[in-house]
Amino acid sequence: MKQDFTMEVSSDNNFSVLNRIINILNRRRVRIKKLMAHENEDDFRRGGVIMLLHTTTDMAEKVKVQLEKLIEVEEVSYREGSSAYLELSERIVDVD
Amino acid sequence: MDALLTKSKPAPAVGTTSDREPSQPVKKISGSQALLRSLVAENVTTLFGYPGGAIMPVYDALYDFKEQLNHILVRHEQGAVHAAQGYARVSGQVGVALATSGPGATNLITGLADALIDSTPIVCITGQVFAHLLGTDAFQETDVVNTTIPVTKWNVQVTEAKDIAPAVAKAFYIARTGRPGPVLIDITKNAQNELMDEFVYEPCEYIRTYRPKPLLSTSQINDAATLINQAKRPYLLAGQGVLLSGASKELIAFSEKTGIPVACTLLGLGCFPTDHPNYAGYLGMHGNYGANVNTNECDVLIGLGMRFDDRVTGNVTKYAKQAKIIHIDIDNAEINKIIKTDVAVHADAREALIALTERCEPKRHDDWRQSFSKLAAIEYEKVTRHEFHPTGELMMAEVINHLSVFTKGESIIVTDVGQHQMVTSRYYQFKNPRTNVTSGGAGTMGFALPAAMGAKMAMPHQQVVAVIGDGGFQMTIQELGTIMQYKIPVKIIILNNNFLGMVRQWQQLFHDKRYSFTEMQNPDFVKIAQAYGITARKVVQREDLQGALQEMLDATTSYFLEVVVGKEDNVFPMVPAGAGVGDVLLEAPKK
Repeated sequence: MKQDFTMEVSSDNNFSVLNRIINILNRRRVRIKKLMAHENEDDFRRGGVIMLLHTTTDMAEKVKVQLEKLIEVEEVSYREGSSAYLELSERIVDVD
Repeated sequence: MDALLTKSKPAPAVGTTSDREPSQPVKKISGSQALLRSLVAENVTTLFGYPGGAIMPVYDALYDFKEQLNHILVRHEQGAVHAAQGYARVSGQVGVALATSGPGATNLITGLADALIDSTPIVCITGQVFAHLLGTDAFQETDVVNTTIPVTKWNVQVTEAKDIAPAVAKAFYIARTGRPGPVLIDITKNAQNELMDEFVYEPCEYIRTYRPKPLLSTSQINDAATLINQAKRPYLLAGQGVLLSGASKELIAFSEKTGIPVACTLLGLGCFPTDHPNYAGYLGMHGNYGANVNTNECDVLIGLGMRFDDRVTGNVTKYAKQAKIIHIDIDNAEINKIIKTDVAVHADAREALIALTERCEPKRHDDWRQSFSKLAAIEYEKVTRHEFHPTGELMMAEVINHLSVFTKGESIIVTDVGQHQMVTSRYYQFKNPRTNVTSGGAGTMGFALPAAMGAKMAMPHQQVVAVIGDGGFQMTIQELGTIMQYKIPVKIIILNNNFLGMVRQWQQLFHDKRYSFTEMQNPDFVKIAQAYGITARKVVQREDLQGALQEMLDATTSYFLEVVVGKEDNVFPMVPAGAGVGDVLLEAPKK
């Protein structure tokens, strides 16, 4: 059964890294409801993406391990629901 | 102007440190020279490429590196990337291809996709328009980095000369470590031209966000060993991961201690000797009968360095449902991707095998192993006997059988995609690792001829035989020109049935024999080969076959052998699309 997941990706902040991340989701036809990309405030060479995805638990796990394969990606985690997305994105907006 | 400045300089010595002595005046080098020095520092000796506007500074610099870098001018960029793949597959070294921007770069894409799915370490270098023109739709500008993201393990665009050497170091490290794969470096023309004061090459050994090889987990190994020790009918499926980790000896030792039969995937062929008593056969849609059927009879199934491709599993809902599954792979994303595992071992195949061999008990499993022999006997009676001793038209199987016998299963065999590929995989008795080169996951027609060139360049003292169908041959036929120019003594066998044979087989079996655009009117292949200066011969009669094969193998130069085979022969056994591996057909279903 499909449901909302909040997925957080930390990565290097290189050109094309966002495309690499989105490419994984596109290949798997995972619906992206919301997305926020950012560079880290204390180090512009690092950044990440916060995404609100609508998919199955099985697909969320498969997407996670495929994202972890990307050379620039440091860590991927996800949680059920959308509340974490709002919390994380607000934190980034506040920092900016 | 920059190119002129660099042209007259001799090929500089290569080191991993700065070339500039404190007392010497600054010797400027171009980004192009830095690139070539970096390649030499990575022990590259051969590269396959095709020049063009945006890569011209690199080609100009290559003029001074002729002693160190053997550049092979292919006839199409797809030929370059497949040649680099062939080079990498047989040698284990990173293959290198060079191309210009725009169409030169996009012509690499098929090979990149092929190398990604087949885990082949290559580095492709493309020229790009000047940095200030990026995004302006300049002549021969294509967004190569974004275009090739889905077909590379990693890629990068370099716009300054100082970044070239670090990019090369990172590219080679990524290409060859972990699960190997293709990497592309796109270098803008200004970066190629730009002069630098010094050259420093530091090999890459670490990337903060990249862990190529996992630490072996003792608990995972113990769990796997427990399952294996309890098993009555254990069965191991060996994939290319065994070859990539150099684990053939360890696999033999493991199988001999545990008595576990070993089957090979298409890309795993060669990792386990086909004449070993524990060899269970070749897996897949056209694999051996016993190897497929017993997948649904075993009680513990060990996938080792393989990815449960759909050509191996057939219908996954009918795949090994009775078995506990152990999946050993260096790529964590492969585990549980297709088949749910009971014990996941995220590890390098060799390290896992060594640890498992220590922990597993000696067993024989005689009855279980004999069940494979019994099924093999059924397959021989139903399929193989006739194919080896037909009475009518020549059959692909007898050609490959003779080739296997004449070469003792020890040649490097490069196949294209289609019926001839499946027949070769079934009947060539591979004895040694890294002797089977084929396009597996991508199924790229046109792969074999350039890949064979690359394989021969890497292993000049080994016999390299390309086996190709008449369809795939014409997809990269232009590489005969490369073979001619560089006198690459590859042997080429065309199994000509004047059909796109595998598609025709499907049309016959599953589309009521509606042969929709699969019959081919072919040119005189022998005349074409001869026009390229290649000794060529055509065989139509059975009595000429063995003599022609021997003549081909004895030739010290390249040799082209066309064998006319039955137009409508089919490849069996066959697991039909949507069927389970237990439903393998030994002959066409009767209607």
